[in-house]
Amino acid sequence: MFCSEKKSLEVERIVKANDREYNEKFQYADNRIHTSKYSILTFLPINLFEQFQKVANAYFLFLLLLQLIPEISSLTWFTTLVPLVLVITMTAMKDATDDYFRHKSDNQVNNRLSEVLIDSKLRNEKWMNVKVGDIIKLENNQFVAADLLLLSSSEPHGLCYIETAELDGETNLKVRHALSVTSELGADFSRLAKFDGIVVCEAPNNKLDKFTGVLSWKDSKHSLNNENIILRGCILRNTSWCFGMVIFAGPDTKLMQNSGKTKFKRTSIDRLMNTLVLWIFGFLVCLGIILAIGNSIWENQVGDQFRTFLFWNERGKNSLFSGFLTFWSYIIILNTVVPISLYVSMEVIRLGHSYFINWDRKMYYAGKSTPAEARTTTLNEELGQIEYVFSDKTGTLTQNIMTFQKCSINGKIYGEVHDDMGQKTDITKKNEPVDFSVNPQADRTFQFFDHRLMESVKLGDSKVYEFLRLLALCHTVMSEENSAGQLIYQVQSPDEGALVTAARNFGFIFKSRTPETITIEELGTLVTYQLLAFLDFNNIRKRMSVIVRNPEGQIKLYSKGADTILFEKLHPSNEDLLTLTTDHLSEFAGEGLRTLAIAYRDLDDKYFKEWHKMLEDANALMDERDERIAGLYEEIERDLMLLGATAVEDKLQEGVIETITSLSLANIKIWVLTGDKQETAINIGYACNMLTDDMNDVFIIAGNTAVEVREELRKAKENLFGQNRSSSNGDVVFEKQQLELDSVVEETITGDYALIINGHSLAHALESDVKNDLLELACMCKTVVCCRVTPLQKAQVVELVKNYRNAVTLAIGDGANDVSMIKSAHIGVGISGQEGLQAVLASDYSFAQFRYLQRLLLVHGRWSYFRMCKFLCYFFYKNFAFTLVHFWFGFFCGFSAQDVSDQNSMDYPQLYEPGQLNQLFNKRKFFICMAHGIYTSLALFFIPYGAFYNAAGEDGQHIADYQSFAVTMATSLVIVVSVQIALDTSYWTVINHVFIWGSVATYFSILFTMHSNGIFGMFPNQFPFVGNARHSLTQKCIWLVILLTTVASVVPVVVLRFLKMDLCPTLSDRIRQRQKAQKKARPLRSRRPQTRRSSSRRSGYAFAHQEGYGELITSGKNMRAKNPPLTSGLEKTLYNSTSWLEHFCKKTTDTVSSFSQDKTVKLYTYL
Amino acid sequence: MLLMPQKYISVTCRTKMKRTSKDGQSKLPDNTALKQQQLPASRLQLSATGVLSCFFATGVFCLGMGIILILSAKSIKEIEIKYTKICGNCAKLREDATNFDKVCTCSIPFYLPETMQGNVYMYYKLYGFYQNLYRYILSRSNSQLVGTDLKDVGNCAPFSKSHDGTPIAPCGAIANSIFNDTIILSYKLNSSIPIKVPMLRSGITWWTDKYVKFQNPSSINLSSAFAGTTKPPSWAKPVYELDEEDPGNNGFLNDDFIVWMRTAAFPTFKKLYRRLNRIQYFIEGLPAGNYSFNITYNFPVTRFKGEKSVVLSTLTWSGGSNLFLGLAYTVTGAVTWLASFSMMAIHLMLKDRKVLFIQQ
Repeated sequence: MFCSEKKSLEVERIVKANDREYNEKFQYADNRIHTSKYSILTFLPINLFEQFQKVANAYFLFLLLLQLIPEISSLTWFTTLVPLVLVITMTAMKDATDDYFRHKSDNQVNNRLSEVLIDSKLRNEKWMNVKVGDIIKLENNQFVAADLLLLSSSEPHGLCYIETAELDGETNLKVRHALSVTSELGADFSRLAKFDGIVVCEAPNNKLDKFTGVLSWKDSKHSLNNENIILRGCILRNTSWCFGMVIFAGPDTKLMQNSGKTKFKRTSIDRLMNTLVLWIFGFLVCLGIILAIGNSIWENQVGDQFRTFLFWNERGKNSLFSGFLTFWSYIIILNTVVPISLYVSMEVIRLGHSYFINWDRKMYYAGKSTPAEARTTTLNEELGQIEYVFSDKTGTLTQNIMTFQKCSINGKIYGEVHDDMGQKTDITKKNEPVDFSVNPQADRTFQFFDHRLMESVKLGDSKVYEFLRLLALCHTVMSEENSAGQLIYQVQSPDEGALVTAARNFGFIFKSRTPETITIEELGTLVTYQLLAFLDFNNIRKRMSVIVRNPEGQIKLYSKGADTILFEKLHPSNEDLLTLTTDHLSEFAGEGLRTLAIAYRDLDDKYFKEWHKMLEDANALMDERDERIAGLYEEIERDLMLLGATAVEDKLQEGVIETITSLSLANIKIWVLTGDKQETAINIGYACNMLTDDMNDVFIIAGNTAVEVREELRKAKENLFGQNRSSSNGDVVFEKQQLELDSVVEETITGDYALIINGHSLAHALESDVKNDLLELACMCKTVVCCRVTPLQKAQVVELVKNYRNAVTLAIGDGANDVSMIKSAHIGVGISGQEGLQAVLASDYSFAQFRYLQRLLLVHGRWSYFRMCKFLCYFFYKNFAFTLVHFWFGFFCGFSAQDVSDQNSMDYPQLYEPGQLNQLFNKRKFFICMAHGIYTSLALFFIPYGAFYNAAGEDGQHIADYQSFAVTMATSLVIVVSVQIALDTSYWTVINHVFIWGSVATYFSILFTMHSNGIFGMFPNQFPFVGNARHSLTQKCIWLVILLTTVASVVPVVVLRFLKMDLCPTLSDRIRQRQKAQKKARPLRSRRPQTRRSSSRRSGYAFAHQEGYGELITSGKNMRAKNPPLTSGLEKTLYNSTSWLEHFCKKTTDTVSSFSQDKTVKLYTYL
Repeated sequence: MLLMPQKYISVTCRTKMKRTSKDGQSKLPDNTALKQQQLPASRLQLSATGVLSCFFATGVFCLGMGIILILSAKSIKEIEIKYTKICGNCAKLREDATNFDKVCTCSIPFYLPETMQGNVYMYYKLYGFYQNLYRYILSRSNSQLVGTDLKDVGNCAPFSKSHDGTPIAPCGAIANSIFNDTIILSYKLNSSIPIKVPMLRSGITWWTDKYVKFQNPSSINLSSAFAGTTKPPSWAKPVYELDEEDPGNNGFLNDDFIVWMRTAAFPTFKKLYRRLNRIQYFIEGLPAGNYSFNITYNFPVTRFKGEKSVVLSTLTWSGGSNLFLGLAYTVTGAVTWLASFSMMAIHLMLKDRKVLFIQQ
């Protein structure tokens, strides 16, 4: 307790390096993580407590207690105790195994080894033993063990590269750097061991992009920010080693702070069952009261005299007391409406479905040999009720692979494959890829299917040369040669990697760079360009340029960037080309490709020198430096000559489009929640057909303050309603809709809308008063994309929909950043077969590919749901029929509690359950079932009653004895419910036959066994029904009664069903039709419309790039000493070496905010 | 084509998925029909023709059966005489339990207008006697009745032991409340001396009851077998004196006792008392004429506002069924027919509408 109190109070954290004793007094959490719920000691109490929170379990416990009172017990207590104990043990065992695996995975993570500097030596320590303040060494491609302050690294200036895909889903590498004072420590163990800096920083929190702290070391203070921190969950890339000091460990790390609490998940059927159990209990109480009142009256009127005649024991029992006891007896007897076997069978059915999911070969991914796995067995039927799917982008929808797909060079499109007729066709396996074998440096993994580009290169098309040259020159890629002499590119952004690789394969090979030069191999000849200036990328400029001097002495500016920006900077002479390229860009954008426009400019020497002078001056300025530089960049990047455009595909996972299409046809809404940039997210939206150009409107919410966000939401809503009103006003057909508009607005929204919202706005929008606006708007949109969201925000969005919409949600993701949303959604799905395991461990279902979601939901989910509902309906029906017979009987036996059909009926309900494993059906027809059950019970009781009244058997003996009556009714019941289940069975398989016939056969065999002489001989008191079956079932009139009962109970059902099918098709009919429609629609939908309205021009620009790399390159800080900077005639070092780092940090921290500022038009439409 | 009825009983077989599995990975799920949910299945569909023809057939069957049952029920000859009021003085006498040792007889003459052909059965019938009371039904000891353990009086309270602690045999409320009237039917052949109509007491119990469920404890003679037990409080004589002439009808094996012990399901019930021994004048059954019931009135019913009657009845092939079953069958048959006609009408109407819709 003390510990947790302390934690809640922690306002700042003080950590001293290499001083465990000092840090211990703060009692910081160590690096051990717990995702498990129980320990051996706490398991029993906690688990039992959780289980008895289930209404049903509590209800049975209550019944059990009632049955322990002999006065009112009408059934023996062990009939409840045994199944209850069984159920609770089974659930507990399942929970225990689940938790065991969580312990195991925790252990696996906790026991990972990491190198810790202890006593000036590196020692292998388990992750869990790493303490705050320790200095640990990380190597390339290793997972980061805790949140670290970067001290030094193998790279110059203490730089290191990390991949944060696990944390935020962003694909580009990020740079972190050590403070210059600490980066000098290098890999010197003795110096590192002596490092005794004290870090004072913020308390643990879940903000992934913020960190503030101060390092005090050697009497000086250095401020720390997010750029100095490497977070747990990242992977070290392109850096052979680095040292870091642990700031936050284990549960305090930002990753763990972002993972939501594990919640006890229940299906909506479970919740419905809970309510139903309560209702039924209420119903039972009513029945009990009716019968108890009846009993009191009877006792009063008849029973009294009757008792005296029978010398009934007068223990001062009055009629009221008798009624009171009767009430409880009936509660116990009537509990068969919700027998505990219902819960057992539900669990068994769910378990069976889980196995069906595990066994499904169609969800087996051969590529990674991972089958689908149902990790929880209790949620299956909920899979059939999903309304919202929340999907991560990176790794779930996309493969995180960028490929160069198409380009447009000088008005000519390359990359499309044409068939013999000259028609565009899809790329298939039949198409021969371009053979790059002539080029020994070519990247073998690169594939391109349009041979015309290679032909153009061979023909020597100068524009094509220039295009490829630009791709090889204008980038921030670093090159390296591996041991085999192969050229390896270290890319910061995967887009650039794709572009440079494409240029490489077409003969323009980027070889190496220094701060001043870029060497490329142009079709076999080495050419070195002087790098005169690097006009870096940022999110406002949306472009990057290099100014180079070629060996001939010409100065050229090469630029690539967003088409919207670049096209404004073109020389007027480009107009014709511009229209052509614009068409091409629209086409690319329509296919969801990420496009960049490519342009160049010839500069004359004098102009450039002047400009360069001005740039240097601007750099020397103290204030307004950035603005001046930006102005200068604008100045030189004009009158550009358009070369063309590139189209890079962010490769989708297999079958994503088809899956999304069919899911949305199934009326499932898909929201994409990603940590990635807005442009990227939108592009993926288009690539997945979630956003289309046919959409009426796409709302973009990118406000920075609460007020802005509210205003934007309001406008969007107005827009939506306004458009709808105007469109419906104009059309007479919609008049009816217009009328409905006021009542059910949401239903009548015509047309497709999409909402795109970023993390900053989301933070404001999730505030309580705006929440509803957001939700309302979002739910009216066909597609919702949330970008730049933190893991916790993902969970908040899910919670929002879950709580305010009462919809069943599913979250699917692959990385640690998805864990919290996976946990908070009703159903969490993890993509397995990847490196990280967190998502899978937190999930309820896991499989290897997004596309299996379709099968999981539409096949398994639907089946599970239909089967479960059908089962429940049937079960309730059967039990109502069975139980209410007691009720009717109550009126004829002086309201004394009476178990009519005795043990034989108690035994058989279980026999049906497995037989139901193969049926499909329908919704919560609880009341229909109830009514049906009541009707059947009436038929079951009153037909035998009427027939037996005053009747005699064939041998003249009376047949209206209580035992014969019970046997007749039980037999009728079994036959009626068997016929009923036969009618309900949609698909008759061998199993169905076995179980349905088997259960009837079992009933009769049990009946005859229990009524046999032998068993009576052994237990005369327990089995008093001897000879009953033999005697009753040889009577013709009993069979006539059974037959009539069956006909009378089944005929109305068949009539109703027939009429329903004729008059209005059932839900399953409709779904069958819908499925047919899906099959028909799918091929149509997957083909994108080739012709587009020119007015729907949309930029396909997306570029995973970060500002600051240009400066890194031109300063040469990220280059190894083995590339000694060449001195050149021109002044190269634009900034002095101390200032660039600060500048870099400033720039990168600004990225996010500047990103949202660049939305000058906050809300615009594509119409 | 579209005019054709669209639903037929169709048996669609889902073909087994055939997949060549070359990859022998251990994680690959087995390709069995069960695991892949690909078991061959047939679908049951409610087709119009199928359902309607089924309904017509059911209707015909039910109507036919109903008529047969009604006719056979009509053919039953039955006479019921309520004798609680007729023997009013006896009833009054029995209201006071202290008069248990006073014998009261009552003679009820009646005229049988028609011959009762075939087997004739004599029943006693009780009104308002709740033999189906929960605690009443349980108030017996089967292990005692089967003769294995006379001392086992488990559920019998308050009729388990006498005041001095001797177990009661047979114990329990059912046994204690046994119907103990004696009914003798006599026939006045020539308006002279009445002839006692020969009656059989055998064959009025279930075979299993007589030979399995009820057994006397084994001993040389019955009275010693029941030594150490006492008679139920309402009984006049101990169980081993029920029929001292016929050992097969004495003790627990007494037919009247066994019949009584098979508790009725409803508060109004009749139990078989005797059946006609078809000899002498009665080979054809009971001839028409003057009869009288000579009743030794022991069983008090007025205290619980009940009534007693004696019933003579013949049987048909389906037993002594009442009209209800026949009527119920007829009604069900008629309703089924009605339903099938209206279903057909609706179905045809809908089909017409569909045709219209298509033509438009």
